Amino acid sequence: MNHAIISCLHANLPAAEAVLNDIDRQGIDTITCLGDLVGYGPQPNEVVELIRKRGIATCQGCWDEDIIDGLNACECSYPSQLAERRGHLAHQWTDDQLTDENKSFLASLPTSLRRDRLLFVHGSPNSQHEYLLPDMDAFAALERVETAGADILFCGHTHQPYVREFRDGSIRVRLQNADHANDQGEELTLPMRKIVNAGSVGEPRHGSTNATYVIHNDATDEVEIKEVAYDVGRTCQAIVEAGLPKVFAWRLSHGFEFAEQAEDASHVCER
Amino acid sequence: MIERWALVSGLRGDLETYDLIQRDLKKTRGVTALFVLGDLVGPERNCDALLDRLRNPHRGDLKPDCIYGWWEEQLLAERGFRGERKADALRLSQGEDAVSALLNTVNPSHLKWLASLQFGFIELDCALIHGSSSDVADNLTSETSPLILLDRLTRLNVNRLFTARSTKQFHLELTGGGIKSQVKDLNGKREQQQEVPKRSVIGIGAGVNYTLYDIGSDKTHFLTAGSENKAKSKGFI
Repeated sequence: MNHAIISCLHANLPAAEAVLNDIDRQGIDTITCLGDLVGYGPQPNEVVELIRKRGIATCQGCWDEDIIDGLNACECSYPSQLAERRGHLAHQWTDDQLTDENKSFLASLPTSLRRDRLLFVHGSPNSQHEYLLPDMDAFAALERVETAGADILFCGHTHQPYVREFRDGSIRVRLQNADHANDQGEELTLPMRKIVNAGSVGEPRHGSTNATYVIHNDATDEVEIKEVAYDVGRTCQAIVEAGLPKVFAWRLSHGFEFAEQAEDASHVCER
Repeated sequence: MIERWALVSGLRGDLETYDLIQRDLKKTRGVTALFVLGDLVGPERNCDALLDRLRNPHRGDLKPDCIYGWWEEQLLAERGFRGERKADALRLSQGEDAVSALLNTVNPSHLKWLASLQFGFIELDCALIHGSSSDVADNLTSETSPLILLDRLTRLNVNRLFTARSTKQFHLELTGGGIKSQVKDLNGKREQQQEVPKRSVIGIGAGVNYTLYDIGSDKTHFLTAGSENKAKSKGFI
């Protein structure tokens, strides 16, 4: 059976509607959302209410968490001071706009969802703020999946959709015991695992303005990355009219966030 | 010339053991640094005398470089040095009495110094941490999955991680292996291959059991303070 995974909607209603319409056209009933319903975009209440109305199973993203808990993450949340200032502006604006009911909904979201051997998180099993980038250290990436007890880990947060499959892995170790008399060698065979990043519905950064999401077939484990065009101009106009930083509209119209990518993918925010 | 580090942890207020280790080190060639990897305090005994000695070494002592461990983390949390966090882990595992006992073993005059201690040291290509790069409570042993050990090394980009939380002495070397992966995105597919770097995780022990590390030869020696160490270490000391 096919199911769809969406992430990082970022208060972009036209993009969210376009993606859900695309999923509906394919007759897919099961949808999982990996969080970041709000932030950057101009329609936070509308997007939260759309997800609530559709009853879509959702885990909490880093923006959803920050709106509820406040901006107490360490400096890792933003790649530059400029980005941080803009992010704080968007945070304050979103905080002012969101209704108490919608904030309560965001507060109620779990940090992960699990269906059998499938695990759904926003950033990584460690944190909503950790980036699992497509080219990060393979052993560290596999550790996230294996330690979480999953066969396939679905994540978002990077805004770049990808599927990464790990195979033919092994680690040889030798133990030097306290008495130095019992040196041993053994080899651990690593399991085959997969990370699926759903990209971003509301703020794509993969080089195109199209919204992205993924479809997973739980019988074959095949994953298809989907792109959906939507009225980007409508959202950009709403961003400017809302008084949000104009650069949010600019990068939405380019599909890429220049010079604003996490430099240290392994860093985990310590709150 | 041989250059060695001495690595100690889990003293938990035991000045007598610390004194034994200092005496051992005086008789050992080439020890240039003493690292105390946390758990300076504990609930069993009053810790003030040990803390005084660590902060004000006696003449002839090898000057200790200390970091904080799990017990300091609990103490500092309960004393309000960790924001809203309290000694929840201790309370959960050993109950309210253990929290009270811990508070009573350390004079508040030491708290500011304890709070100033670092999470860990990076020396050469080695990380010296009580638990691991993941958490002060991370309990790494020789039984821990090598995948997790490699992750903890990778997070710090070091070749050797010295850890103390487990209280065990072990030296586990990652000697080889690799992994393949395929990344598929909207631009197509690409293959990746990565080898396991030659790295080690070393458990340094606790209390009377401590470790010497020869930084030139990358050899570890697991010792017990006050015992006849030469027999155990085959005369290398």
